[in-house]
Amino acid sequence: MSFRIIKALVAKDLSLFFRNRFYALITVLGIVTYIAIYLVMPSSVDERLEIGLYAPVVPPVFEQISEEGVEIEPVESKEALVEAVIEGQYAAGVELPADIMEKFASGQKPQVTLYFTADAPEEVKDAVEFLIRELAYLQTGQMLAIDVSAEILGRDMLGEQIPTRDRMRPLFALALIMFETMGLASLISQEIEQGTAQALLVTPTNVKDLFAAKGLMGVGLAFAQAVFFMAIVGGMSSQPLIILTTLLLGAILVTGAGFLIASLSKDMMSVMAWGAVVIIVFAIPAFGIMVPGTISGWVKAIPSYYLADIVHQAANFGAGWGDVWPNLLILMGFNVAIVGGGIMALRRKFQ
Amino acid sequence: MAPDAIVAEELTYWYGELIAVDHIDFTVAQGEILGFLGPNGAGKTTTVKMLTGQLKPKAGRAVLLGMDVAHNVEKVQGEIGVCFEETNLYEQMSALENLQLFARLFGIRSFDAYALLKRVGLAGREKDRVENYSKGMKQRLMVARSLVSRPQILFLDEPTAGLDPTSSEAIRNIILEERERGATIFLTTHDMLEADKLSDRVAFMNDGKIVALDTPHNLKQKYGKRALKAEVSNESGELEMREIALDTTQTPEAIHELFAREKVVTIHSEEASLEDIFIKLTGRRLTE
Repeated sequence: MSFRIIKALVAKDLSLFFRNRFYALITVLGIVTYIAIYLVMPSSVDERLEIGLYAPVVPPVFEQISEEGVEIEPVESKEALVEAVIEGQYAAGVELPADIMEKFASGQKPQVTLYFTADAPEEVKDAVEFLIRELAYLQTGQMLAIDVSAEILGRDMLGEQIPTRDRMRPLFALALIMFETMGLASLISQEIEQGTAQALLVTPTNVKDLFAAKGLMGVGLAFAQAVFFMAIVGGMSSQPLIILTTLLLGAILVTGAGFLIASLSKDMMSVMAWGAVVIIVFAIPAFGIMVPGTISGWVKAIPSYYLADIVHQAANFGAGWGDVWPNLLILMGFNVAIVGGGIMALRRKFQ
Repeated sequence: MAPDAIVAEELTYWYGELIAVDHIDFTVAQGEILGFLGPNGAGKTTTVKMLTGQLKPKAGRAVLLGMDVAHNVEKVQGEIGVCFEETNLYEQMSALENLQLFARLFGIRSFDAYALLKRVGLAGREKDRVENYSKGMKQRLMVARSLVSRPQILFLDEPTAGLDPTSSEAIRNIILEERERGATIFLTTHDMLEADKLSDRVAFMNDGKIVALDTPHNLKQKYGKRALKAEVSNESGELEMREIALDTTQTPEAIHELFAREKVVTIHSEEASLEDIFIKLTGRRLTE
């Protein structure tokens, strides 16, 4: 390999990357947008639970409720309650029957109806059911006939809730890194499609020089953007060395993915198509971090899980080397496989 | 006598069952222009790829400037210039940037891109993006790029295909100037007239084999048929063609008869063209 040649090729690739208005614009817009979204999102967690209540007769215990973080607001009709829940005004709606007090008095079990939207988290459903059961018990001294089975999925965040925007940091960092997959794949694909790779390979440039130059540019661009973003949004304040290492491994991972996409693609459109598939799959683990409980064990088969998880654990919970080393090792393993596979697949196209 | 710049010994390549290049042997002397002719699929491109280090021969060897190409790819590629048939320039870059990039790849420190662009007729457009160039301008830039390293051997693949006469002439002049400089030129073309004008020798390739290799003059002498073609006016005033083969014992008598019995309107001699010879040797046209 020749340093002189690699330097010339990297300079050329960087120049071409930023001359492509689409990629240049998306790169800058991506960084600015993600930082802006992060900064405008609330920096603290709103833990209040607002519940709408429709009750022709309100039991005294419901009027005296003083649970911390729970606000119960009366609503005039069942229809108004349903509408308010659908519009997101309340996390849940509770409808008590008109004969609730008589049923309590006669020892019968009144029918209580709860309303949730389809996307209400299980935790909220569980909490509201639990609350109603507790209030009924306080009122009558006996249990309501509600069969509740509760299960906690994902990390139990009791006492250590973090703002959504901090949860989103791995997603944004991953998105910035991932975008380079398409940029790099597009550059390589163009190089093959337009025959410029062939022109380079009849000069003293060899295939190793080409891979080294493309790899350096891909890793450099992805890493620089992710580090810049994390630095601006305070993601480096905890365990910076772990985060830098992880982002570097992530940049190498997406460079390998870029090689694979380029080997499968024939033009810009196929780069976009394959790139979109890879980006969506790679983004799933980061969404899982943003919304706990939405993904299960299979997500660990996606290489980006280890990237997103390490960034999340280190930036948001201060996880140290002792906590993250198994995931770092797995990420390195994926890197070797994906970069190696990408080089092998692409080498055939260069020749 | 100058040593050979290009030596092909039993050069062979196959793609699966298809033998693209079948044990070909030839040499090209330093400073010589070899026209390499053949129809599509004859094996020309595969041969050039082996000579320029893009493909490793399955059998035989290619030696350029005394170096076995398969074992000295980078050294050989440092001494050659290649101009491809299909335009493969960095279109988002300027002509200047394209040439400067390749100069850096060759490790040339003092490189005057402006002078080279002026030489190929692109002065004044050096900083324009290549995507805004016409086909002729791009082709001239392709030729310029192949000259960046002042190569000892120049491979040119259809350098004038589809170009206007001015651009074609400019490129032909550059080829001759390079020969004057001492470069060896391997010219792949479909254009028989161009090959005839420029080449010291021509090689005909068909089905992976070289079927003839000699100077255009010798090939015409050996395989061609010289003739006199005359237009004569018949009794009703219509024009008819008459052809008299030259170089036969009956030729003088036939010419005498023509002028004695016919009303000759025009007459000219005709040499066999390389195209005719190629058809005679292979039964195929070059443009097939």
